[in-house]
Amino acid sequence: MLALFALVGGLLLGCFYALFAMGLNLIFGVQRIINLAHGDVVMLGGFLTWDLYEGFHVSPILSALVALPLGIAVGFLFHRLVLPRLDRARDVETMSLVLFFGISQVIEALGAIGFGPNERSLPTNAIPSHPIRFLGETFPAYLFVVAAVAVPLLALFVLYLYRTPLGLQTRAVMADPREAQAVGINTRRIAAITFGVGTALAAAAGALAIIVLSGVQPSEGADLTIIAFAIIVFGSLGNPIGTIVAGLIFGVLSQLAQVYLPAWSNLVPYVLVLGTMLLRPEGLFGRRTRVA
Amino acid sequence: MPEHSASRVDTSRRPRLLNEALGVLVPVVGFSLALHVDNNELLLVYMMGYVAMAQGINVIYGFTGYLPFGYFGLFGAGAYAFGIGVTHLHWPAFADLALGGVGAVAIGVVLIPLFRLRGAYFAIATLAAALALGDIVANPALTSLTNGPDGLNLGSVYNSGEFYVSSVVLVAVSLLAVVWLRNSRFGLSLRAIRDDPYAASMMGINVPLRRAVAWLIAAALAGFAGALYAWATSFFYPTAVFDVTITVLALVFALFGGVGTLWGPTLGAIVLYSLYDIVGVTDPQAFQLIYGLAIAMLVLFAPRGLAGIAAGIRNLWLRRQEREVNRATA
Amino acid sequence: MVRTSSPRKPRARRFGLGALSLGALSLVAAACGSSSSSSTSSSSTSSSAPSQITIGTAYASSGSFATSSVPELDGLKLWISLENAKGGVYVGAYHKRIPVKLIALNDQSNPSTAGVLYNQLITQDKVNILVADFGSVLTAPAVTIAQAHHYLLFDQSGTGIPFFTPGNPYIVLCDLPVSSIWPDPLANFIIDHHIKNVAIVYGGNDFDGSQAETLHAKLMAAGVHLVAYEEVPTSTSSYSTIISSLAAQHPGAVLELGYQPNDTAFLQQLESSGVHFPMVFTVFPGQLLSLFESQLGKAGLQYTFTYGTNFFNTYTNVSEGLPTKAFLAKLSATYPSAVNTLGLLGYNTGLVIEAALRNATSLSQLALRNALTEVSGHLTTVDGTFAINSEGAQVGELLPLAQLFPGSGNTVELKPVTPPAPSIASAVYPAP
Repeated sequence: MLALFALVGGLLLGCFYALFAMGLNLIFGVQRIINLAHGDVVMLGGFLTWDLYEGFHVSPILSALVALPLGIAVGFLFHRLVLPRLDRARDVETMSLVLFFGISQVIEALGAIGFGPNERSLPTNAIPSHPIRFLGETFPAYLFVVAAVAVPLLALFVLYLYRTPLGLQTRAVMADPREAQAVGINTRRIAAITFGVGTALAAAAGALAIIVLSGVQPSEGADLTIIAFAIIVFGSLGNPIGTIVAGLIFGVLSQLAQVYLPAWSNLVPYVLVLGTMLLRPEGLFGRRTRVA
Repeated sequence: MPEHSASRVDTSRRPRLLNEALGVLVPVVGFSLALHVDNNELLLVYMMGYVAMAQGINVIYGFTGYLPFGYFGLFGAGAYAFGIGVTHLHWPAFADLALGGVGAVAIGVVLIPLFRLRGAYFAIATLAAALALGDIVANPALTSLTNGPDGLNLGSVYNSGEFYVSSVVLVAVSLLAVVWLRNSRFGLSLRAIRDDPYAASMMGINVPLRRAVAWLIAAALAGFAGALYAWATSFFYPTAVFDVTITVLALVFALFGGVGTLWGPTLGAIVLYSLYDIVGVTDPQAFQLIYGLAIAMLVLFAPRGLAGIAAGIRNLWLRRQEREVNRATA
Repeated sequence: MVRTSSPRKPRARRFGLGALSLGALSLVAAACGSSSSSSTSSSSTSSSAPSQITIGTAYASSGSFATSSVPELDGLKLWISLENAKGGVYVGAYHKRIPVKLIALNDQSNPSTAGVLYNQLITQDKVNILVADFGSVLTAPAVTIAQAHHYLLFDQSGTGIPFFTPGNPYIVLCDLPVSSIWPDPLANFIIDHHIKNVAIVYGGNDFDGSQAETLHAKLMAAGVHLVAYEEVPTSTSSYSTIISSLAAQHPGAVLELGYQPNDTAFLQQLESSGVHFPMVFTVFPGQLLSLFESQLGKAGLQYTFTYGTNFFNTYTNVSEGLPTKAFLAKLSATYPSAVNTLGLLGYNTGLVIEAALRNATSLSQLALRNALTEVSGHLTTVDGTFAINSEGAQVGELLPLAQLFPGSGNTVELKPVTPPAPSIASAVYPAP
């Protein structure tokens, strides 16, 4: 039954979307910065995966893991180098948005120069690709593979956030930066580390994105950022569990749209963003951060 | 010293009036004569559209502090309203131009509820709305109205003399709007709202209404720019007018020149748009790179743009004058 | 804020009047300037030959159209270098060869930039020959500018139907048939083979939409039942659900009309879904075969159908330019990355220019157009037979339907299975 196919497929894809949006949510939660270059980091993760496969036949699953430490390093360095200057601007919030927009354009341009403007895809057999029967429906294997990678990574992240001292400090800064500083937490260091973790999550999601989207191209970043933003707003900005739930819901919604309203399926993220902001600005779980 | 302060108050008014008069006249006269210098009329028409839109960003961001990333949605709305006027209503071109402005203002009215959101969220919400509008316009379900993804063909109203003059008029209108805002009580109340909305409303200012007026002025400017684009280009697809690059350019032009000033966005648009085309012509593949870097550098190192740099230099010079005067009178 | 009123008013009023009159004068100046510029026509029609023939074009080195635009430009450049090796292109009006110079401007896949560049080529560079960029989106801005300035637009691959209108002689479609007639061989194949229950999935854009409309009209007229006629956004990359819903309808043929990323996603997800359709048609494997081979291999492509672009047809008798084998050899030697359909199209543009210059009585734009009207139907090249209708739209150079047969190793072979083609293979339907 088609609805069942959309539901199960949507939940599996939703695991990917949750991982994909989590980095953006994390960075926002700690510093109230919307990283408009998020989608471009995902794109870079996708190209890294493609290069590793073409050059060394590294499976995308492994590339997702390789992307993690790279992402942390790059994000941390970037934060240390660039962000301190931002405080000088008159209107920090809007200026940080504009700054990251500029950075998104730079990354996209460098991507096009470095990798060429074409879309690159992995061959079908880069990951297991036989059909899988489940609950009476036949699913392409890639849905399960992607979920099988996304779920442990998400679990790892949740463990980090809720069970490690660093995670505890991060959550303290997310709740109230000034109080956290008063208690002796080095908020700048936490902000930089968190930016690194957020970048790492995005890069790992990029390795899976090249499978989900059947390819990667330099110009995909902007659309991806909007989708991630829609998910985190819907799931309540700054709330990690909210992002996971919202990711799953988004996965299901987009698959259902494909079945019943394919010509309008593009509009799902926009409807989600606008609907949430206008009707229930605090998102699904409320309270954490308000936008109005 | 009473004499010093009084003279400073008086002398600041006459140069300012002159500055604003020049700020309107020089671009208008310049563009009127520009065709005799460089007869690439499409380049000039597009440039004038960007002057108007940079001033539109000036109005909405400089005076209210809200930055609409989705500004291009109003440009596209104006272009398509013009197109609908031509293809369905068969109105003459000037009437369609007016329709373009009306269409953009209508969309602007629909987006007013977004002002409930704070700065950054307003920015992204307008982006989502503009992208959604582009998708809706391009949807085959709407082919009977907008021709959907097949693009518009407006060749029947092509008239380069008329659309060129109309573009010059649009530039004049946009500059006059900014002059009015800079010198009127209304503009002052807008700046009060931008700096502290709560205090402003406690003074009895109707914050939502005034902000909406500024927004609709900016929307009309973008709408007319879009309508003129449609008129001058004749054949285009939805992706050409619903393109976030349009906002990027208008934003960079305004920021580079200096938001809140009269000359800033005009100069930013003229200088940078010329550069943008030269870069395109001489072919390094890096225009997007340069523009992205420009945005990043502007934010980090020169958030007030050229005008800020100019003001900084002028302050330095004034302070030197003052020091000399003090030394002389001491 | 102290307000002083009366002393300033007369001055302000005088000032205002002065500004108004200056403004009015400038508007008049503007109007004069623009109306005189719009009647610029091409370079001199004097009796002495120019020292160079300049060809002006726009191309996209980055952005979404670069994959197609760059090789198309390379094909044109190949033609130029071959002509210049002979001392230039033969210009019938002056009975001699004149060297060719190319001015190629980069529009970054942005149609507004393209418009400005076309304007520049006409009004500043005053080129002899104006050539459009790849595809309808980047050709559209040129159409009205060319017409307004009375320049003949050599439209390479912008197949949009609205470009061609009665009463506008200033456009010729050179290398591909106009999009409304592309699917004719495909439609005829389906009708001739009595295939029932056809499903059409197409991208929401002009290129795919016009093909879908043509197919829809022809198939319905022939009484073929359409089980699906779905439009999806151009950016769609997720077809699994659509494939599932199509499978439930048991179609006799599935036609997926998209751009290259759509085709890749569709075929990959079809392969991993385990669903099998008796006939699958996609647009781009015929244009970018090696790319699709690397992404799908033999297993994912064999027995699917596509457009058999002229790149895969071997022409030995041509009236202009090189025959296929020689052309491919030259192309591989000079522009190895352009050895695909687009390179062939760009080269064909050069051949059309060559035919126009050879037969035109002068270098005026209308003379060039008349020359092309004369050779229409008689000009055969590696791209088939050039034939235009009275509005300048290409009605020759039709693409046959082709099927991909398993080849050696992990490759497939493309063979046309319908006319027009020099040699036709028999199709395998249903696909095993």
